[in-house]
Amino acid sequence: MNTIIFGGLAIISLFVFFNLAKVKASSKQLDRPNRINRFQKHSTNNIIDGESKEIIEDDEKNS
Amino acid sequence: MSKHSALNTFGRSGNPAFTKNFGGSTYDIPLEERMTLDGAVNKTGILLSLCFAGAFIGWNIPALLIPSWIIGMILGFVTIFRRPEKAGSTAPLYALSQGIFLGGITLFFEAQFPGIGIQAIGLTFGILASLLFCYKSGLIKPTENFRLMIFSATMGIALLYLVSILMSLFGGAGIPLIHSNGLFGIGFSIFVVSIAALNLVLDFDFIEDGADKGMPKYMEWYGAFSLMVTLIWLYLEILRLLAKMRSR
Repeated sequence: MNTIIFGGLAIISLFVFFNLAKVKASSKQLDRPNRINRFQKHSTNNIIDGESKEIIEDDEKNS
Repeated sequence: MSKHSALNTFGRSGNPAFTKNFGGSTYDIPLEERMTLDGAVNKTGILLSLCFAGAFIGWNIPALLIPSWIIGMILGFVTIFRRPEKAGSTAPLYALSQGIFLGGITLFFEAQFPGIGIQAIGLTFGILASLLFCYKSGLIKPTENFRLMIFSATMGIALLYLVSILMSLFGGAGIPLIHSNGLFGIGFSIFVVSIAALNLVLDFDFIEDGADKGMPKYMEWYGAFSLMVTLIWLYLEILRLLAKMRSR
């Protein structure tokens, strides 16, 4: 009886593991700000390196 | 600035397995050479099969218990600290050798408490599946603080075990109470099982995060390896807990 119960539990659990593990986690898990940052993801940078100049509305009007 | 002074003082984590920089930009890696969830799960399956095969050997040849444990420990440390990128070759050997060790030790426990092995296997995989469900559904959300807490507790347990082993080697009886079958000993074992189980959540998050950020393919092996390390530890602790409870 012991073998049937715990053996069955092991088989069912392994079945659940191999099916569930391939499914992506819920957005509640993935899209949160306090996730552990293990791998520094290189995000695309929108700022172009170089000399920048502040745009002043008055300058635009004068020119 | 973080609101937690411990994080500010000691940094995010001192664990080299967690802080190691695994490769450069993910944009340099072709799509087919990136880590996937499927790949990591399949590799976990391979490692589990090897562990079971090893356990069969260890069950039939118990003399291999100590050598396989030493080989497994060396391979584990090499994979974590020296060659994570070679996990594809070291992790299967680790799983096989630790399987031999588990087979041998289960035989010893079975001789004293018949049926304890299957109970421990059932509970280990039961905890694995239920915690995976909790993680995937978002019931348990690992954060930096969660990791810091689990890491500290794991290191504390490791240190306690090390001291206990050293005391036994020099003729002492080890640290009293924690190995006993009294209430304190059982309570300690339940605490260790809980910490080992919560380490599984960190492993799930490691694999999910790696696949999400498109890390290199070898990380599938590394993720599967870290899951195996935790599973083996969890199984051993459950075995000890059950033995304590049944010897009362």
